[in-house]
Amino acid sequence: MKEYKREDFRDQINKNKWKSFLLMIMIFIVFVLFGYVISQAFDPGYFFIIMIFAIIFSISYILISYYNSDKIALASVGAKKASREHHKQFYDVVEGLTLASGLPMPKLYVMPSPQINAFASGRNPENSVICVTEGALKKLDKNELEGVIAHELSHIANYDIRYMTLAAVMVGMISIVSQIFLRSLWFRGRGDDRSKAIFILIGIILAILAPIVVYLVQLAISRKREFAADASAVKFTRYPPGLIRALKKIKEENQPENKVNKAVAPLFFANPFKELSSTHPPIEKRISILQRM
Amino acid sequence: MLWFLIAAGIGIIIIFFLYYNRFVVLENRIDNSLSQINVQLKRRADLIPNLIKTVKGFVKHEKSAIKAVTDARKALISAGSLEKKVKANEKLESALKTIFAIAEGYPDLKANQNFLELQRELSATEDKIAYARQYYNDSILNYNNLCRAFPGAFFAKLYGKKQKEYLKIAESEKKNVKVEF
Repeated sequence: MKEYKREDFRDQINKNKWKSFLLMIMIFIVFVLFGYVISQAFDPGYFFIIMIFAIIFSISYILISYYNSDKIALASVGAKKASREHHKQFYDVVEGLTLASGLPMPKLYVMPSPQINAFASGRNPENSVICVTEGALKKLDKNELEGVIAHELSHIANYDIRYMTLAAVMVGMISIVSQIFLRSLWFRGRGDDRSKAIFILIGIILAILAPIVVYLVQLAISRKREFAADASAVKFTRYPPGLIRALKKIKEENQPENKVNKAVAPLFFANPFKELSSTHPPIEKRISILQRM
Repeated sequence: MLWFLIAAGIGIIIIFFLYYNRFVVLENRIDNSLSQINVQLKRRADLIPNLIKTVKGFVKHEKSAIKAVTDARKALISAGSLEKKVKANEKLESALKTIFAIAEGYPDLKANQNFLELQRELSATEDKIAYARQYYNDSILNYNNLCRAFPGAFFAKLYGKKQKEYLKIAESEKKNVKVEF
């Protein structure tokens, strides 16, 4: 793996906005293709109706997930709003770091989990959320928590949150939709006719490939993003040991999580699953890069 | 050819505008971060009277330490320039340290909910002041970079923009901030 190359903040932001846009276009095309395949496989007579339905559906799907991706991500992990009274340190740390980074104050959430973890979500810095686990608030000291929060804030500043949440939410949905498609094919489409069989085959391939391809794209990017976010986290806190200690604690204490949906795993500060190590760079590598700062 | 010249002319005008706006944005960011420092300093000064009241209830004999804090607070409120405010804040910070050190000898005070809350808030505002100062200097760095590098330097001269002074922070002080009471 190549190390993170220095990039201007604004380049990264533009890249993320551009990628988010491309992702939405891609999702649109995938849906319309699905519509096409479905109409050809079952009854070409309904072609226009199915296509119109597919277009309307995909546009509303994209708009809904664009404006609600953060809520969907939060709901999928069962996060609750953090209260200023019970999570004073959480608020203090975030307020301090928003001053250090010049970002607007995100909304704060806490998710019930004994593991140390956190994620940020939203479509832009003005509409962003940071969610940490109860375990992180309990087990991390102030400097460690600052490191983790600063990492999440840099995801917000870079617009990583837009791209990552959109990818997680949209891809998560696609996997469900294509599963349904696959299942219905098994019951109905025992080929009478050659062309029908071919379309069914394409349908199956699409259904299998679509989520994998998009997921792979997401994996390829999120590794680099984590290094970049670690680097700008240090720029905010000016204190690498905090983040290093947090990562070490995670390595020693975290057990694999089972409540988190796999689609949202790449959003997290540290990988919630042990077996899916490819969503995140190895913690040792992150620590060794931080130690050189 | 004519169209090409017109397009080139428009392009150049746009570049002039863009650079002007860039300066404005960066200057606004500096102003904004400056006001953030002032907000946090004020917040800090506002917390002190409560702290003094709480401490006085428990600590009778440490008049000089308490006076040092109230004096430093007065100096902070009356300070005019940012430099002076930051200096006064440094004095206040060390006076507060003495108070918190004294508090260690008074178990009742140390266990007082009000005192603990104030202590937490004061250390949180101190962190925020440090972060606001850091951002202020970062913003000045960005601004100065634009003023010095080419072609920004050319536009800086054109628009009469000059480099700005950093707010000086002793680097050791940043570390003191990280100490938790």
